[in-house]
Amino acid sequence: MTPILEIRHATRRFSGLIAVNDVSFVLQPREILGVIGPNGAGKTTLVSLVSGTLQPSAGEVLLEGRPITTLPAYRRARLGIGRTFQIMRPFPGLSVLDNVAVGALFGHHIDRTNLATAREEARARLDFVGLGKHVDQRADELGGPDRKRLELAKALAMQPKVLLCDEVMAGLNHVEIDEVIEVIRKVRDHDGISILVIEHVIKAIKSLSDRLMVLHHGEKIADGEPDTVLSNKEVVEAYLGKRRA
Amino acid sequence: MKSLQLIVVFAALIVLAAVPWFGSDVLIQFGINALLLAVLAQGWNIIGGYTGYASFGNSVFYGLGSYGVGIAMVQWELPFWAGLVFGVVLAVVFAVLLGIPVLRLRGHYFAIATLALAQVMAAIVSNVKLAGQNVGLVLPPLNDDRLFYELSLGLLVIATLTVFWLTRSRFGFGLIAIRENEEGAAVMGVNTTLYKVLAFSLSGIFSSLAGGIHAYWVTFIDPESAFDISLNVKMIIMAVFGGPGTVLGPIVGALSLSAISEFLSSEITSIAGLFFGIVVVAAVVLMPRGLADMFRRIPKTRWHYFAENIRAHRL
Repeated sequence: MTPILEIRHATRRFSGLIAVNDVSFVLQPREILGVIGPNGAGKTTLVSLVSGTLQPSAGEVLLEGRPITTLPAYRRARLGIGRTFQIMRPFPGLSVLDNVAVGALFGHHIDRTNLATAREEARARLDFVGLGKHVDQRADELGGPDRKRLELAKALAMQPKVLLCDEVMAGLNHVEIDEVIEVIRKVRDHDGISILVIEHVIKAIKSLSDRLMVLHHGEKIADGEPDTVLSNKEVVEAYLGKRRA
Repeated sequence: MKSLQLIVVFAALIVLAAVPWFGSDVLIQFGINALLLAVLAQGWNIIGGYTGYASFGNSVFYGLGSYGVGIAMVQWELPFWAGLVFGVVLAVVFAVLLGIPVLRLRGHYFAIATLALAQVMAAIVSNVKLAGQNVGLVLPPLNDDRLFYELSLGLLVIATLTVFWLTRSRFGFGLIAIRENEEGAAVMGVNTTLYKVLAFSLSGIFSSLAGGIHAYWVTFIDPESAFDISLNVKMIIMAVFGGPGTVLGPIVGALSLSAISEFLSSEITSIAGLFFGIVVVAAVVLMPRGLADMFRRIPKTRWHYFAENIRAHRL
């Protein structure tokens, strides 16, 4: 089976600093792949290389076996890559509904040009993530947890094949984390979307992911079944320091 | 409410269209100037108000439109409308060729880069033989102010309908998304480079047509007046005074500021500029988001609206 997403030897340098160093991995159809790593491990950079907001210094990105490395972000979005941002990028002056409608208008289905249907679709997505009551509010009036949900709804409205979630659970409490986990599971189970999740909350990502990948100093140090990976000596060292391990 | 708005707009349009048939010559001439300024403010609204790129290059489009008509009519002896088309072509070519590099810049950097372009254009044109160099061009006169008035009004209507279409089209949504967060727009599938260049061109088309009409009306153009940067400042002030990113704001801003400026210069002639300055400063302090925002919120907040804005400035 062709993996839905494949990264081959991706490297990204920022004048001297190597944020991502020769990382390769695959994402299988309908898989939830968790990516963890300490601060500065290169997780967000990796997502940006896939979504196209950054170009890799070396390496390749393939979507359904087709190279997309040189395509700009908007083309990748239309081919089916949706992402959320850790530092959220809402359209602050627009209503919550119109924020999501932009995704429906410009995302995967480029034939959708009608504003009314786009808004209808946006409404359904907002109900799905639990923001149904806030459709008419301005996006900058939403609180932190609701902004995270909005990011998710915006990406989902694009009807992506691959969803990249950059810390959608950061700053949420336990109840809210459980809700988001529930939503992400549903996205996979109902819509068949393959998902890459970056997260700090290890407990949450362990229960959510089919497979776990660990980045440290820009390099991949582990990749496999969550329990095995989390008991890996190198991973424990990366997180807790050598002495504790 | 919506239908009431529509009735008011139509009534205003009919009154405006009838002005040349009952107004004095002075009023008609004031009207032509004010309407052309409104077109410029509305054109700037597309790139500045909706796309969020504060362009100081729109006076270049105006100048290219003026020279399009000037060169076509004087040097090639073509009819007026051909000159307008030529001006539009010049403006679009300029918008595409220079927009692609310049629209990569954001915020102040974009403003400064476009400002520089405006300076350079005046220098270039004053060295082009076809454009009459420093001396400028004298166009064949046409003494029909009614025609110029109605032409200007018609252009304003088309510009406004275009902006209205923006508010309910996929294209306009893309522009607003770029204004609100460009990176966020790109990852959601908006072709930001293409959209910005299209918005810049569209904005340029209207500025160019306004310049063309003005050139034929005053029958004389030279580089200094055609590429006058203070005109660009004027259109920005007018659009922002009325409410950038709204359909009718720039028109209201342009017409009211033109009237205030005209009144001041006839009443207190020599120090009119000073008072005009005070009006603009007061507007920025008391209603920084323009008349449109003020009218929307003042029924609820009353005078608190102004107090809040003053507080937001930390004065």
